[in-house]
Amino acid sequence: MNVFRGILGLSAGLLLSAPAMAQSPMKDIDMEQVVVTATRTPKLLKDAPLVTRIITRDDIRKSDASHVGELLQSELPGIEFSFSMNQQTALNMSGFDGGSVLFLIDGERIAGETLDNVDYSRLNLNDVERIEIVKGAASALYGSNAVGGVVNIITRTDKEKWNVEANARYGSHNEQRYGGAVSFNAGKVYSRTNVQYTDIDSYDLPADGDYSRIYGNRTWDFKERLIYTANDHLKFTARAGYFFRERDAQAIAKERYRDFSGGVKGNYVFGRHDAELAYTFDQYDKSDYNLFTEKDIRDYSNVQHTLRALYNFRIGKKYTLTTGGDFMRDYLLSYQFAENGSKSQYTADIFAQFDWNPIEKINVIAGVRYDWLSEAHLHHLSSKAGIMYKTGNCSLRGSYAGGFRAPTLKEMFMNFDMANLFMIYGNPDLKAESSHNFSLSAEYLRSGWNVAVTGFCNLVDNRISTAWDNSLNGMRYVNTSALRISGAEMYVSMKLNCGVGARLSYAYTHEHAKAGEPMISPTRPHTATLRAEYGKKWKNYSFDLILNGRWLSAVEADEYTSLTSYTQTVRRKYPAYTLWKLTLSQDIRKGIRVTLAVDNLFNYVPSYYYYNSPATTGTTFYAGVSLDIDRFF
Amino acid sequence: MKKTLAAVLGGCAVCLFSSCNGIFGNIYDTAEPSDETSAYGFVKPCTDSEAGRIYIDTQDYTQWVYLDFEAQTTAVAAVADEAPEAWDIALHRYDVKTHDGRAAETTYSDLSKWVAAGRPALAKEYADIWSDERIMTDLSHMMDSIIVYTPSYYNPCLSRWLDVDLRTMPPIYTPSNRVYTVRFDDGRSMALRFLNYMDDRGAKGYITIDYLYPVSF
Repeated sequence: MNVFRGILGLSAGLLLSAPAMAQSPMKDIDMEQVVVTATRTPKLLKDAPLVTRIITRDDIRKSDASHVGELLQSELPGIEFSFSMNQQTALNMSGFDGGSVLFLIDGERIAGETLDNVDYSRLNLNDVERIEIVKGAASALYGSNAVGGVVNIITRTDKEKWNVEANARYGSHNEQRYGGAVSFNAGKVYSRTNVQYTDIDSYDLPADGDYSRIYGNRTWDFKERLIYTANDHLKFTARAGYFFRERDAQAIAKERYRDFSGGVKGNYVFGRHDAELAYTFDQYDKSDYNLFTEKDIRDYSNVQHTLRALYNFRIGKKYTLTTGGDFMRDYLLSYQFAENGSKSQYTADIFAQFDWNPIEKINVIAGVRYDWLSEAHLHHLSSKAGIMYKTGNCSLRGSYAGGFRAPTLKEMFMNFDMANLFMIYGNPDLKAESSHNFSLSAEYLRSGWNVAVTGFCNLVDNRISTAWDNSLNGMRYVNTSALRISGAEMYVSMKLNCGVGARLSYAYTHEHAKAGEPMISPTRPHTATLRAEYGKKWKNYSFDLILNGRWLSAVEADEYTSLTSYTQTVRRKYPAYTLWKLTLSQDIRKGIRVTLAVDNLFNYVPSYYYYNSPATTGTTFYAGVSLDIDRFF
Repeated sequence: MKKTLAAVLGGCAVCLFSSCNGIFGNIYDTAEPSDETSAYGFVKPCTDSEAGRIYIDTQDYTQWVYLDFEAQTTAVAAVADEAPEAWDIALHRYDVKTHDGRAAETTYSDLSKWVAAGRPALAKEYADIWSDERIMTDLSHMMDSIIVYTPSYYNPCLSRWLDVDLRTMPPIYTPSNRVYTVRFDDGRSMALRFLNYMDDRGAKGYITIDYLYPVSF
């Protein structure tokens, strides 16, 4: 903690001294970056009517993150990836769990879930151009699950005539990553092929806890994207992907996860208007490979077919009308259904968003979306409204957004024998979770500087969870009590021409419990991230030295002492912790980059491993090399 | 070029649309019982050159499954009931007891390697012991930390074949992967290798055992 304070003081001093240095021209901080998630239309980051955080390819490189969870945690406060049952990954983003945060790849939904979280290991960072994060509800544009926020992963498209990359990384616990990509632009055709393999051994933890051994796993990821630009107006995109993960969770069997994805999309631009028609296929399977019988038995398959249309109609520079709709077939085969059965449902939606700039300084946005789900017999209307006022270097934003999460097929039809101990039943009569999100923010932008403060409040009703049902003598999905989450976030970043840069983010999250009711959720009230960096370039050599820090405060949460009765609780305290990572990235000659990293710099080891403790055994070391072969020539 | 691309894109779309419930289902094995697992009990006899195999269902916490190696038969009885007249070992879920036997755990992971090594015997052999808190017969309130036990004998050595850590959910299963020997008071003896504790679908409580009987060591 003293170390944290020390470095915090150092960075604060650095930030305070910066205005003096800011007399010289400085690099802008990504505000000219085009983002799409907040409005489903391309906008400059500084013009986005909702606060949008982006993680660029350069940020990804500097974080040296091995997976998207590590990246998001190191870049943004208020995000915590921890473990849930069976050591499955669970997200908490400003009080919302994985089921209430919508993850997208190029705007497309991701099939499959485990304990309400998508398979985050599917998100190959080597293929990412940037990640856009919009916190708060966004169901008026994205429908179900966009209650706590949207994380949109935008994949890479290279501009060069051809590009060949290869990379390798090795670290503690025999962690290995090998990847490569080949892309080319040949006339009207663009192709990018990306392959990645990762592997990490199982390892034992040095102290007692809710878990004692971290399961090893290995992944394969293959992606191909083909773009054909017919003319200035018409463009076709086709993509295909295969993902495989094998986890060493059992001594006698390997858990396997596969994903097959594909899609075709056409974009047509006419005048100031544009239209998009897309078909997406995503299939996420789970199977168990028994080492004794050598049988690979599938017990879960989620197949989503989605047809989507989007149309942007612009009138002058003042008005943009965005309309669209989706039609999806959602099929789920699951070991959690009676007799390993399957269910399917159709969902359809239509939405419209009106974007208006009455004067240069003001942007007003309003939208509405209607969603229909066949098996849930659900009709839901979501709306949003927002206003942005820009004056000088400041932007003020205020917004209201509605969110909802439809009950899933799993939650409606589960019939699962939990380890011969008790049954868990679905509930076809579940109502959708619905939410209201209010947000106010102020942003200051000056060359090299970006300061933003955001306050928010979320009111969530009809939350879906499990509760003991005495009449069934088992657990059952039900709508539970309302949730109130409010908080604030602060973000300061700066970058100077002398190579010094820093970024400090802080988030405060407060979950309101009704008087007399226990506080079950272990959402940490205070979290902060810090990045301080220094880089310098010479003709044949350059380096970046990056220090990433992450602090999570302690939290106390209540836990029911009984599964079948909700009368008694016990209070648990989950300790605070701080993790630091130092990365040295060197371009030792054109096209060759060597990266060395020390994670958990101050050797933090939990005295007890709770589910939300970091799965660290202490300081770990990593070394990597990446080659941009096209730059050799 | 345009026609080829259009054909490829169209073909992809047609293939995907036509596979409403998914593709590549044939890369997985089926969970239907194989010849080997279509029957329970002594599914393969032990010969001079090959180990025998047993496949039993021990899912029910309220019963013992008794194995009679001489008659090659199995019998099921409630935990509180009397054992059948003739039996050699019995399993309750993953607990094992013997009929007047003593067991030892070898360092070998394979029956054939134990045979090749000359079927070494171990000096330390363990008889069954009585316990009031070993044989769990009602776990329906386990999540409330209430487990009902039925007093019974069990063999502490043989029962080490699978460690079940119930402190986490789901439990962690760790097999010993060792060959066990059992010597009975009447002079008979056998060697056992517990291979699997799941069925094809991954349901726990289906046990596969390879055995050598009779065998001397």
